[in-house]
Amino acid sequence: MARSTANLQTYRRRYAAAFLSPMVVALLLIVAWPLLRSTWFSFTDASLADLDAARWVGLSNYFSTISLSRGRTAYVGLLVDPVWWSAVWNTAVFAVSSVAIQTVLGVAVALVLNARFPLRGLVRAAVLIPWAIPTIVSAKMWDWMLNDQLGIVNDLALRLGLLAEKVAWTSDVDTAMLAVILVDSWKNTPFVALLALAALQMIPGDIYEAAKIDGVHPVKVFFRITLPLIRIPLMVAVLFRMLDALRSFDLQYILTPANPNTKTMSVLARENLFEFDKFAYGSAQATLLFLIIVVFTALYLTIFRVRLVNKPE
Amino acid sequence: MARAVSTRRKTLNTALAGTLGFLMFFPILWILILSFKTEEDAIRAPLEVLFNSGWTTESFATVQARSDYFKHFSNSVIISVGSTFLGLLIAIPAAWSMAFVPSKHTKNVLMWMLSTKMLPPVGVLVPIYLLFRDTGLLDSRLGLTLVLMLINLPIIIWMLYTYFKEIPGEILEAARMDGATLREEIIYVLTPMAIPGMASTVLLNIILAWNEAFWTINLTAANAAPLTAFIASYSSPEGLFYAKLSAASIMAIAPILIMGWFSQKQLVRGLTFGAVK
Repeated sequence: MARSTANLQTYRRRYAAAFLSPMVVALLLIVAWPLLRSTWFSFTDASLADLDAARWVGLSNYFSTISLSRGRTAYVGLLVDPVWWSAVWNTAVFAVSSVAIQTVLGVAVALVLNARFPLRGLVRAAVLIPWAIPTIVSAKMWDWMLNDQLGIVNDLALRLGLLAEKVAWTSDVDTAMLAVILVDSWKNTPFVALLALAALQMIPGDIYEAAKIDGVHPVKVFFRITLPLIRIPLMVAVLFRMLDALRSFDLQYILTPANPNTKTMSVLARENLFEFDKFAYGSAQATLLFLIIVVFTALYLTIFRVRLVNKPE
Repeated sequence: MARAVSTRRKTLNTALAGTLGFLMFFPILWILILSFKTEEDAIRAPLEVLFNSGWTTESFATVQARSDYFKHFSNSVIISVGSTFLGLLIAIPAAWSMAFVPSKHTKNVLMWMLSTKMLPPVGVLVPIYLLFRDTGLLDSRLGLTLVLMLINLPIIIWMLYTYFKEIPGEILEAARMDGATLREEIIYVLTPMAIPGMASTVLLNIILAWNEAFWTINLTAANAAPLTAFIASYSSPEGLFYAKLSAASIMAIAPILIMGWFSQKQLVRGLTFGAVK
């Protein structure tokens, strides 16, 4: 009997390993192999037209020096490219401000939705919709609503006296980033709100009862009880949003095409890969973007002591 | 007194929630209205659009007639549904393994799957693009189905894993004691119990695949383009096309809205990994 149990265990373990293998193969195929190949391209002078002719050039896509006449040296490569650093800056500004807005609004929305009121299901569905529709569609939709001459946003803002004159939100260099952040927040606040709502529903009601009996002010209840109790799920939601924002592509691609003030690292890298025939350089940008995200995630998880996976019992 | 305060707070909260719902939904409502207007009416001032112009379904007909909406629609359906169910075939056994026969590697595998969230698609695009070019998978529904299956696989597995973890292992053990084989255990015992979780997983993944744009824009052209790629490149050769664009957008999101409406409970559960009931 004992022996057959042991046999069964081995049998199950063997199957468990076999069952994992298609997944491992799939991940190697979609993640590991293309990533390594992209990284390899970034160390070559490959061009999309003739990949076989690619030669190893070491780090020169990233950084190298050229000796000029009269003994001066010039620095070239990604690390000294102002266009690249401007894309890094744009991505950082976009990610930090849109995620900050979404977090604050998301928690507020979750607090509203957490109370009981008539037609709660309907309101929850309405809030969920912006998240559920394709970014491409919302970008096109907002592009039209933000149109300088015919858009409804300018029209309403003028009527309400919020604006003195019509603004070309998406093409004006000063407002393009604002427009992108606005649309992204409209779309993704629901995501944070739902995760925050999930966390709120886990808080036992008697904690609030106790606070009420002790006469604690609601604002104090929020900062001393609610916020600390939803901290970890909220930090995870923020991390997921940051990862998406740092990789952001479709919104900027549709809403503010070719605008240097909103161009993210992903948009820039894709441009170099496919449109500018600077294939190896684009690969270097993609590789560096991945490195930046990995470092960011590692720092975030360490600094805020967030655990994504619990140890299996 | 306390009662009056709580009633007032309730009214305030209801008003806030109503305003919130309206604000979030308003852009969709506006596009919906525009889609039933002629091009000339769609560019009039908002109040005039609302009260001083007629309604027509002409834009919908034009979009279908000129750009073959149904072809893109069926591409979207095939690609999103296909990639989700193909993904389930790999994900169910994998999630079973990790949930019921955990090993010291389980945590690493989970972290590895999560780490795919850090990977910028642009970092893996070119090798896959080249592979597709060389194997003739570019602009094919099969190719896109495979890619979307692969990129969403970590999420499918992760979600199924969290749902499977809620199922007590003793039930599966009891089935084994009664002589069920592994196959029977998974198909007849585990799967039926995990149906709600699987439904959420399927729904969420169909929506994610339906909304995917980076891969659809870069790997398809006229032939296999689903609705996202179609909308991204939508324009009209002559003049104004905002009513038509609105109609096309509404047609692209209608299936999601209808499906999402009837399954919002599962969707919310799926999105929050089962935490909001």
